[in-house]
Amino acid sequence: MPQKISLRIDGELIHTAGQRSILEVALEHGKFIPSLCHMKGLASVGACRLCIVEVAGVGRVLPACSTPVQDGMAVTTQSDKLRRYRKIALELLFAERNHVCAVCVSNGHCELQGLATKLGVTGVRYPYTFPKIGVDLTHKKFTLDQNRCILCTRCVRVCAEVEGAHVWDVSSRGVGSRLVCELNRKWGESRNCTSCGKCVQSCPTGALAEKGFAVEEMTKRTEPISRLTALRGVRP
Amino acid sequence: MRRITDLSAFNEVREAGLAKLLPPGPRIAIGMGTCGTGNGAESVYHAFADAINQRGLGVKLARTGCFGFCAAEPLVNVWLPGKPLVILQRVQPNDVDAILDDLLAGRMPAGLALCKIEEWDHITGHVKYGAGCPEIPHWYDTAFFKGQKKIVLRNCGLISPGDIDEYFAVGGYQALYKALIDANPEAIIESIKVAKLRGRGGAGYQTGIKWDFLRKAKAEQKYIICNADEGDPGAYMNRNEIESDPHSLLEGMIIGGYVMGATEGIIYARAEYPLAVHRLNSAIEQAKEYGLLGENILNRGFKFNLRLVEGAGAFVCGEETALIRSLEGKAGRPTPRPPYPAESGLYGMPTNINNVETWYNIAPIVIKGAAWFTETGSPKSSGTKVFSLVGKVTNTGLVEMPLGTPLKTFVYDVGGGGTNGRAIKAVQTGGPSGGCIPMDMFDTAVDYESLGQLGSIMGSGGMVVMDEDNCMVDVARYFIEFTHSESCGKCIPCRVGLDKSLHYLNRISHGKGTAADLELLDELSRMIRDTSLCGLGQTAPNPVLTTMRHFRHEFEDHIRAGRCRAGVCEDLALSPCENSCPLHMNIPRFLQLLKEDRLEEAFLSVVMDNPLPASTGRVCQHPCDDRCRRAGIDEAVNMREVHRHIADAIYPTERFDALAAQVAARRLPPTGKKCAVVGAGPTGLACAFYLALLGHEVMVYDSNAAAGGMLRYALPDYRLPKDVLDLEIELIRRTGVQFTFDTQVPKDVSLNDLDSQYDSVFLAIGTWKESWVYLPGTELTGVIPALPFLEAISKQQPVPLGKNVAVIGGGNAAIDSARTALRLGSKVTIIYRRERKDMPAIAEETEAAEAEGAQIMFLATPHRIIGSPDGKVQAIEAVKTRLGEYDSSGRRRPIPTDEIVRMACDTVILAVGETVDADFAKASGLKIKESGLIEVDRYTLETSRPNFYAGGDLITGASNVSNAMGYGKKAARKIDQRLTGERRWDQIFPKFDIDQTPPAHPSASGRHHVTEVDAAERAKTFADATIGLAPVEAMEEACRCLRCDIRNGDHQ
Repeated sequence: MPQKISLRIDGELIHTAGQRSILEVALEHGKFIPSLCHMKGLASVGACRLCIVEVAGVGRVLPACSTPVQDGMAVTTQSDKLRRYRKIALELLFAERNHVCAVCVSNGHCELQGLATKLGVTGVRYPYTFPKIGVDLTHKKFTLDQNRCILCTRCVRVCAEVEGAHVWDVSSRGVGSRLVCELNRKWGESRNCTSCGKCVQSCPTGALAEKGFAVEEMTKRTEPISRLTALRGVRP
Repeated sequence: MRRITDLSAFNEVREAGLAKLLPPGPRIAIGMGTCGTGNGAESVYHAFADAINQRGLGVKLARTGCFGFCAAEPLVNVWLPGKPLVILQRVQPNDVDAILDDLLAGRMPAGLALCKIEEWDHITGHVKYGAGCPEIPHWYDTAFFKGQKKIVLRNCGLISPGDIDEYFAVGGYQALYKALIDANPEAIIESIKVAKLRGRGGAGYQTGIKWDFLRKAKAEQKYIICNADEGDPGAYMNRNEIESDPHSLLEGMIIGGYVMGATEGIIYARAEYPLAVHRLNSAIEQAKEYGLLGENILNRGFKFNLRLVEGAGAFVCGEETALIRSLEGKAGRPTPRPPYPAESGLYGMPTNINNVETWYNIAPIVIKGAAWFTETGSPKSSGTKVFSLVGKVTNTGLVEMPLGTPLKTFVYDVGGGGTNGRAIKAVQTGGPSGGCIPMDMFDTAVDYESLGQLGSIMGSGGMVVMDEDNCMVDVARYFIEFTHSESCGKCIPCRVGLDKSLHYLNRISHGKGTAADLELLDELSRMIRDTSLCGLGQTAPNPVLTTMRHFRHEFEDHIRAGRCRAGVCEDLALSPCENSCPLHMNIPRFLQLLKEDRLEEAFLSVVMDNPLPASTGRVCQHPCDDRCRRAGIDEAVNMREVHRHIADAIYPTERFDALAAQVAARRLPPTGKKCAVVGAGPTGLACAFYLALLGHEVMVYDSNAAAGGMLRYALPDYRLPKDVLDLEIELIRRTGVQFTFDTQVPKDVSLNDLDSQYDSVFLAIGTWKESWVYLPGTELTGVIPALPFLEAISKQQPVPLGKNVAVIGGGNAAIDSARTALRLGSKVTIIYRRERKDMPAIAEETEAAEAEGAQIMFLATPHRIIGSPDGKVQAIEAVKTRLGEYDSSGRRRPIPTDEIVRMACDTVILAVGETVDADFAKASGLKIKESGLIEVDRYTLETSRPNFYAGGDLITGASNVSNAMGYGKKAARKIDQRLTGERRWDQIFPKFDIDQTPPAHPSASGRHHVTEVDAAERAKTFADATIGLAPVEAMEEACRCLRCDIRNGDHQ
């Protein structure tokens, strides 16, 4: 049994078990910390940098998803600086690819869109990149639209960690990074894909979607996956 | 070879090594690191080998690593028994025979010698080479090595990296033997802690504490890793260390393995370092054969295996978690910490990673102890650090200095200052992760904390020196381009943020940036720095943040003025000469027109760019010379003299009227706007000329009876004959400029009057007030300020000048006064407080003055003027100075000595600089800077009063003619923009169709200089002291131009 610790999050005194991340504990206690790459049940990668928080006595901001709680810690989840940085991160995501909500299957159910609304991102100050990237419609049930991918790698992790197939990964680097199926196969030609659809359900945007849905129709559910990992004891 | 199992076997190897290092006959060792080989060491080696073979000599030939002085490669060490080891520099294959002849005759080849080493402290051992050769300086007395302390580089360049015996000879593997025999790992960790050794990879974490973590970690398997993935542009410390002395790394790691309880070590080296990889592999093989790796090392029951992994070249793999992922065969992307590698590293096992250089410090600490180690360095950072000093510095190379050494020691003492005497602007430390430190902060101590405070980092030790030819926007852009392409892409700030940063920097360097871009860039950079996942992203914005902090004016120049002062950003500069010209004359164009034998068009091109071409052709400071790319081949094109030639070929001839009419015909239709220009000096004349061409009605006011300002009343006739000036002013007058002479503003006409009569007023009255030196005796009769003196001479007024004249100062006014006094028959001595190279005067002028008989006393500060009882100057006393520390201007500060010289004289001319007339400044009611100069907007030249502009010396302080005219030209453009609300500037300039193919064969001729009239002759009169270029010489100069203005098709 991990030892009990106490910490303050936004001033509230919280008692909890150690060995857990700030993000988990904060969410459990009804705090709002935005995140996109985090998904309950999957390993933390600290990629989206939206869950940054301030910890008293630490000079820099820390990602809540991969920073463990410590006894006596005082965490601030909202401040001008954090809000500013989170908005920049979202703006950068919008500027990076071609996120045209009006024609997206996930319009209205998209985590990126939802966070932008919640955090007050009303415009993007940075120039759009408008990369020319394609869509993979070769799978019989699902679609991959790289234009909407934010490289959160939830699909990569859910496939590798939960389904055990490791169909997805990221190729190249920097702004050239692309989600890639196996060793750059068409999804429809994948040898390992079990067509379980966990990746689609995990995807926060419309990048991975089921076929047969029109604009605004695609809704996703991550809770069954999180519950499954909890039952299996993979992660709490 | 056999395994070493006991002390006697150990000593046997050592003896064998010593016999190789100090053989009974001569030894020649060629520095064959990658740097040496790149400079031709391979052919030098073969030349030696062939010569030794052919002659059948008993000379031992060896390949060593590099001794560190890259600028002097190829380096060769030669040694004769009993003599010191002599390091020869820049050895070429054809030097080989002479070197061998010398050695066989028992001499050292002194001609090529860089320095000598009589004995060498290898820290773990000591080698005595021998004494003698007093004509060759000791290594520690040469500029480059002075102050260096070689701990990490203790063996580099002295032993053969390919021969383990030579490493034994200098005390190698003793530290390992000691550690194994003492069998007290805790004590070693303790002494590393006490030694305050900090990680040399850049972050500076305490090595001892890190080692303690791993030692205490409990696991079946622990790993230690050496990070040799050195990827910073401009850094090659680790490459050289490994290439020159691979066994020191091995020894450090084996000790580390023993101390931390790890049985497996991995060296992660760049695949781009083939020689380092090769030498490491062979070192590992040799160590295995001697039983220094593998089972039962040195028969002490310790097992340790070491292997080398070649990195695939990603910069991010220098980050420890990315490096570990790469070793595991995964993509090199960092993972969040915690968990730290000491808990969960390679394959999830506890792991320690240290930089190459950290490992090199282990054996010395084990042998010499912590107390010895802390003797070197600063209180918080012990020991030394190796830096690769590169860029625009005379002595480039690997420099190992105690931590805490001031930056200026690196740049000026070791580095020998800027190449070709150029002014150094900044130093970039820490490569793409570091920042730029400006020259005025060169007092900064180089250690982890001090550099961090300036927004830079020490990094692994790259030190790139930059001079005025480096554009700081371009520097930032370059580094962001690098980190942008090396970003792994995992986290958003680094992946997308750097992409957008690069976008803004590109825009700014193309002249398309906006002030808003700068703000967004600043905020974005901070966000990337604060929120990125790993060290790459967290430090990537440093180059942007530091350049924006320390060189913000350069960013603003790009944005607001479309100007890249360094001439690097191609879209903002036509050519280096045009960019350096304050008037932005299209120099390649008039050279080409002359070359195409189109003299009249060449004149038109010149005069439209510069309305006083004959005057500036004689007296300009010619900054274009310093930037001309032809200087890379032989000497700069003599551009100033070519435009003097072009002007002189037109002005005094019958063609003048026709061409003046052509210039006047460029005038735009009248706008009905009225402009006043106050001051008919070069600034005012330039402004009036362009305002008139733009169609405005222009009136120039001047307190004198004729136009020309300083050109007429301060420049002596022998530099600028006044008939030339008169013709130039006549041309300006024909564009419609009107003059009101003998009228002083604001005494005769108030500023309010001007305001009510004119739409805009340009103030350009220059600096006519001579600065006064406050030293005893300036009240004496015979002490005269330079400007009034020169003015009186030009107006042919009598000046009471004595027989012995002392001139105080080193600027153009000082030299002009001196040469004028010489012409009046006096003996002249110039007293200047710094060195010759620091004189602000044009170098040719100084030389001419000396040729005419002026004496110059350098390094002397006047201390008092002695007078006779009747109040007349009798003598001057000056304190001799010596050169001290470098000051913030990069010049060595003169420090007074006890020596005082006394010189009899009857006149003292003070020429220590001119300032704005304070009475005018006060009376004008305009906002004034602390220095007494008029405050203006740097980009629009607007003063604090609406419709009033100012330029020239009035806003910059005493400067020179072309600078002053540059302001006049710029003011006309800005005033016109404000008056008409349009951008009409380009309309007044004629277009010329010239050949746009680069010259396939630029003239091979050397630079043509003006002909100087014989010094004795010219010193007698005020006639022109030089004779301009002959037509054929001017033509040849034009043919020497390389045409840097021609762009590839995609730039047009």
